[in-house]
Amino acid sequence: MSKIKGFCCNYTLSVDVEALKREGLVPEELEIERLPCTGRLEVPELLDAFTEGAEAVFVVGCQVDKCHNLSGSYRASKRVKYAKQILAELDMNPDCIEMFFAGRGETEPVVEAARIMASKAEG
Amino acid sequence: MIIAERKPMKELLEMVSDVKRLLIVGCRGCVAVCSAGGDKEVAILSAALKLGVKKAGGEIEIHQDTLVRQCDPEYIEPLNERASEYDAVLSMACGVGVNFVADRCPDVNVLPALNTTFYGANLSSGEWKEMCAGCGACVLHLTGGLCPVARCAKSLSNGPCGGSQGGKCEINPDVACIWQQIYDKLSSLNRKEELREIMPIRDWTTAGHGGPRRRIREDLLP
Repeated sequence: MSKIKGFCCNYTLSVDVEALKREGLVPEELEIERLPCTGRLEVPELLDAFTEGAEAVFVVGCQVDKCHNLSGSYRASKRVKYAKQILAELDMNPDCIEMFFAGRGETEPVVEAARIMASKAEG
Repeated sequence: MIIAERKPMKELLEMVSDVKRLLIVGCRGCVAVCSAGGDKEVAILSAALKLGVKKAGGEIEIHQDTLVRQCDPEYIEPLNERASEYDAVLSMACGVGVNFVADRCPDVNVLPALNTTFYGANLSSGEWKEMCAGCGACVLHLTGGLCPVARCAKSLSNGPCGGSQGGKCEINPDVACIWQQIYDKLSSLNRKEELREIMPIRDWTTAGHGGPRRRIREDLLP
């Protein structure tokens, strides 16, 4: 497992992650899992990412009012919130998991999210 | 329905600190409806415990299952056969389910994952409120359907105490005085004169003060 795990929906990341790595835009230790919609993410998957070795986890979904599946990214944000609560209960830093929102096909917010979470993983 | 909530993770981790093989068993009854112990919550607790145990440097193997109910024998008795595979069974049922597993499954080391809190209603997604105390001597026909036993902080039977101010209870300004609500409700039904009738002193033996309660219906016995 890479140190940083990201979950992105099909609409927020249209660029190959390996290409972003080659250009040095995102950290090498980033792994992105692409989903049809972040709304399908459940809390166990978020926690499992930490169990499998991730030091920081992030989710990038559509802008809340522009989600392709209406409320998928909103649901994902609520699950991230609950995962944060569990991390806090386990004396882990709840800021090691974050939800981000991006417009359709915008690569920049995903790159930015990866950089933010990389700094948290290092910290 | 019975409302419950997951115990704090630290308490649960302490509970399973010596457990190497754990079976988490959910219940699809009340606790599934109140999002405390159904299939989803079993999966979340499993993932959270694995993470917590790993963080503490330990190892645990966790299996998951969810039963239709844990308050009926036919659903829980198969646990007797499975128990030998596990060091413990962590039940995500209410206290009834945990007790019933303990009673009916002598070889199962059953642990509670939830705190059972009250009998309540679902106000909105994620919000529940106590409505019934299960006191065994219902007076709702006298109070416009609003329960003074469960919803009055003092369980008063004959009107509000001096702490009722502006329709609120003295324990918390967010808590409505149920006796004010009873008065308003009976007034709207043109029944407020009924409140002049003094309720007799309650017999609390039906509320569990006479020991564990039991109900038998002869016509349904085998």
